[in-house]
Amino acid sequence: MNAPAAQPSKPPASVPASVPEFPPAPEGMVNMLIDGAHIVVPKTFTVMKACQQAAIEIPHFCYHERLSVAGNCRMCLVEVVGAPKPVASCHWPVAEGMKVNTQSAITLEARKGTMELLLINHPLDCPICDQGGECDLQDQAVAYGTDRSHYGELKRAVDDKEIGSKIKTVMTRCIHCTRCVRFATEIAGVEEFGATGRGENMQVGTYVEQALQSELAGNMIDLCPVGALTSKPYAYTARPWELKRTSSVDVLDAIGAPIFIDTRAGKVMRVLPQENAAINEEWLTDTARFSYDALAANRLTTPLIQGKPASWPEAFAAVKKILANATGKFGVALGDLSSAEVAFSVQQFAKMLGAAQLAALPNGQATGLPFTLAMQLAEFDKAEAVLLLGCNPRREAPLLNVRLRRGVLKRGLKVYNVGAVADLTYAYTQLGDTAAALEKFQSEKVVQVIVGAQTLARADAAELLAAAAKLGTVHVLEASCGRITAQAVGAAQVAADEVVKAWKAGKLQALWLHGEDTLSTEEIQAGSGAIVYVGTHHTATAKLAEVCLPAATWAEEAGLFMNAEGRVQEAKAAAPAPLQAKEAWKIYRALSEELGHTFGWNTLGQLRTALGAAVPAFAPEMVGVCHPCEGRDLLPMAFVLGKFQRYQFPTEIPACAGMTKKKFTETVPQYYLRSSYLQQSDWMHKMQDEAGTAQIRKVA
Amino acid sequence: MPKLTPQDLCFPNLNGAGDWGIQGYQKRGGYAGLKELLTTPQAVHIQKLKDSALRGRGGAGFPTGMKWSFMPQPTPEKPLSKPSYLVCNADEGEPGTCKDRDILRYDPHTLVEGMVVGCYVLNAKVGYIYVRGEYYDESSRLVQAIEEARKAGFVGKNILGTGVDVEIHVHLGAGAYICGEETALLESLEGKKGQPRLKPPFPAGFGLYGCPTTINNVETIAQVVPILKNPLEWWTRHGRPNNHGTKIFSISGSVNKPGNVEAPMSIPLRELIDDYCGGVIGGWENLQAVIPGGSSTPMLNAEQAGRVLMDFDALKAEGTGLGTAAVVVMNKQVDLLRVMTRISAFYKHESCGQCTPCREGVGWVYRLMERLSRGEGSLDELDQLQALTKKIEGRTICAFADGAMWPVQGTIKHFRGLFEERIRAGG
Repeated sequence: MNAPAAQPSKPPASVPASVPEFPPAPEGMVNMLIDGAHIVVPKTFTVMKACQQAAIEIPHFCYHERLSVAGNCRMCLVEVVGAPKPVASCHWPVAEGMKVNTQSAITLEARKGTMELLLINHPLDCPICDQGGECDLQDQAVAYGTDRSHYGELKRAVDDKEIGSKIKTVMTRCIHCTRCVRFATEIAGVEEFGATGRGENMQVGTYVEQALQSELAGNMIDLCPVGALTSKPYAYTARPWELKRTSSVDVLDAIGAPIFIDTRAGKVMRVLPQENAAINEEWLTDTARFSYDALAANRLTTPLIQGKPASWPEAFAAVKKILANATGKFGVALGDLSSAEVAFSVQQFAKMLGAAQLAALPNGQATGLPFTLAMQLAEFDKAEAVLLLGCNPRREAPLLNVRLRRGVLKRGLKVYNVGAVADLTYAYTQLGDTAAALEKFQSEKVVQVIVGAQTLARADAAELLAAAAKLGTVHVLEASCGRITAQAVGAAQVAADEVVKAWKAGKLQALWLHGEDTLSTEEIQAGSGAIVYVGTHHTATAKLAEVCLPAATWAEEAGLFMNAEGRVQEAKAAAPAPLQAKEAWKIYRALSEELGHTFGWNTLGQLRTALGAAVPAFAPEMVGVCHPCEGRDLLPMAFVLGKFQRYQFPTEIPACAGMTKKKFTETVPQYYLRSSYLQQSDWMHKMQDEAGTAQIRKVA
Repeated sequence: MPKLTPQDLCFPNLNGAGDWGIQGYQKRGGYAGLKELLTTPQAVHIQKLKDSALRGRGGAGFPTGMKWSFMPQPTPEKPLSKPSYLVCNADEGEPGTCKDRDILRYDPHTLVEGMVVGCYVLNAKVGYIYVRGEYYDESSRLVQAIEEARKAGFVGKNILGTGVDVEIHVHLGAGAYICGEETALLESLEGKKGQPRLKPPFPAGFGLYGCPTTINNVETIAQVVPILKNPLEWWTRHGRPNNHGTKIFSISGSVNKPGNVEAPMSIPLRELIDDYCGGVIGGWENLQAVIPGGSSTPMLNAEQAGRVLMDFDALKAEGTGLGTAAVVVMNKQVDLLRVMTRISAFYKHESCGQCTPCREGVGWVYRLMERLSRGEGSLDELDQLQALTKKIEGRTICAFADGAMWPVQGTIKHFRGLFEERIRAGG
């Protein structure tokens, strides 16, 4: 991306001024001379961008590609020949024939001067700073600063700010680049961060001490170029050079942001976003970033029989006993965090043993509905109008909401809402909170209708989808990658509560729950028969099980996940499963042998081959890309037995009693605790406490 | 130079002896000929301003006619797509400067008429006057003057039947010196934190609320009217080429009669002090140094002060500037180093905190000045102080840091000996 656009040519030092030094640049481009090398760049570039294109590094702190230009750190000063003083390259526009010297005495002196001034009031407490080892200030001080300071006065000290359980602040380290302020204001859309005071008394913080009310606040940690804002959960737990980095996917919502899981000695120490312009840009939600303590909390670490630890052979024997003669008389329900491999294994397991029902849909959701967006996430940057139907993108997919907000602010995107009134961080038109509002809706623009998971779980979902399809392109925003993946694999034949109905009615001898914790424990207890729970945590549901089989979490098991745009990504195993817990696909492989229906695979590779053969969307060549077949028309789609089919919207809107009357309610009342996995995280409980009230929960 | 007669003055009531209200102003010739000004093509006015060589009275001395010509002018084919604004900078905060204050309280209608004419020339329907928050009483007078002018039909819709609409709003600042920087002023006016903007884009293209905007000092806007009403020669007979006209000088410090006086440009500094201010306390021989244009401009020593002419170019040649023409005279009884330290303290207090060099450096400079002016420190540190000012000057978004460093540099340049003496004496 940063490759030089033009071949460097000889500096035309000896050419007389009257003769043009360069051949005329193409339309919309300009000739420049950077450090004596000729380069042609677009007219709209800044000097810094031109330098980057010429593969010349310009040090900077306040500049960030995805934020507005502040130009305040003055680290990127360069000499522009003819300018009376060094210019801030981050905002200075290029011009025809401009000569820039990034290595001249003027430039180097400017950098040294700025660096010295940046450091005079910086505590230089790198040995006890969590940013140490991955600090822009450290790196640039080494590269562009001097080895000693002239400063002999007392250093400034700044009180730390308490801004909730996400971010730890050491404000004395702040270099006032205002990246965090600009992120909060521009991207997150919460104007709760700013600079108060003037001059050397300027302080960055929330104006009134309060917990940050953004579900994207953690990104300020990544943006902070120094150790002023660091991760509170990660504080003092590891050094960056001790960590092993694994590429993975945030499976907790439908966006599937690519992430890095950093581990030390097999323990997950932190989660960071990977950069991917097509998916998350470079942001990450706070639930993905801070919920990793759930991986170590309350885990099932050994098989349990009636709550007592047992060995795997004992557990398998117990399972065998339960499933004996249960053909056609047991139901299977799959939770929301399963990879394609696991969903496929469960599906095959259910099929081989003749399960009466296989569920992977959230309670109440009808079978056969579409489950993805009808275009890629990045295409929402071009949308003209968006209609939200029972969907709160800020809570359900904050990273999609970032794109919508940008559209509203920068492009005049119109957003309409049919559903509960919510603060989406941008202005939208509230049409109503019942589907009746759809009848009045009219727009001259091309409308993208985003249907939330709540809407899918309604009895009138098909009718609402049909009504929505009359207004524009229908996009479905599921609750998590796991839900999408299970549906794409074909493991989602019914909703979980259907299974429970049959169980309560006594039609089932056994209930097989794989990480499914959304069912009411009272209803489960109303049935008779044995329950087998395959999962990761000691949940309330697990406690009802006759046999518990401990499985690896999404972070401990390599798996493929499909996100809302139909993109398949691989989450690699970042850490080993604890103690006796095993990867889920291995559990089913072993069980299949134990039960006399051995699966045809012995390795993950073989399993993926079988998966890819059965479900082409998960074939190896599909990993990392959006499903291309049929292009944009592919989605929305429904999956039937290994083949994608377009979802056929009913042409006539079937009359459904109450369709227009039932109110949409708040979609995700508790953002940080929206799934049973998140509920295992202490940090998520703290953040949920702070959400809404903004009151800081003092950590005991 | 002969003293000016009331007919030569732009601000005949600068001393406050007459009526500041509309009747007094009209008696002095105010608002006469306004209708004619509002019916003359704008291009004619701009050309006359260019010919007059009027230069901005707020400190930078940018040619006003040229500044006004940057604003978009509508043509029948291409009408204006956005509103234009004229903003008057009455955030007079430069230490030593108090000229706008006397205009606002003793002759506010000069500014009101200037705003009306300025808005017409710049095609602005709305003008804003950003008044320093401390000038509360003065702003009240200004608001009264605007109301008087409105009643008389000089402000508002369809002024004097010419079809020109001009609305004037007065806004009070909240005490930040930096809001006198034109783009910080715009930010503040928009309700944001007063911090200078990156330039480009310049306000003439992207100013208040993103619209074309011209920002001028009170005195500049007020002088436009007499320039346009009188023959060109009335103005250009004063001062040297490119420095024409009259100017208000605010003279303070060690003079017998401090105050604001309107005098011709290019007047010798000595004549200004001797003839208009009763001379230096203790006589000219007792003069130590003069700050010629407000605290931001480097000082002149006594020898320079004896020969320099008070205009933009002559002071520039001496390594300083006319600035706001706030002349601070210091005789030999003044502890000059402590005065300059106090000025450094002012800049430390007023830095907006946006750019690293200014935020971190101005306080450092102050602390060094504080010690060195008492003789605490070493000669090395004096060199460091000089080097430090060079690390701050010219490295920031706005000119504040330059203005904070120049007086320090001027002090070291002319009075290094004083520092050295005290340092050797050991404080």
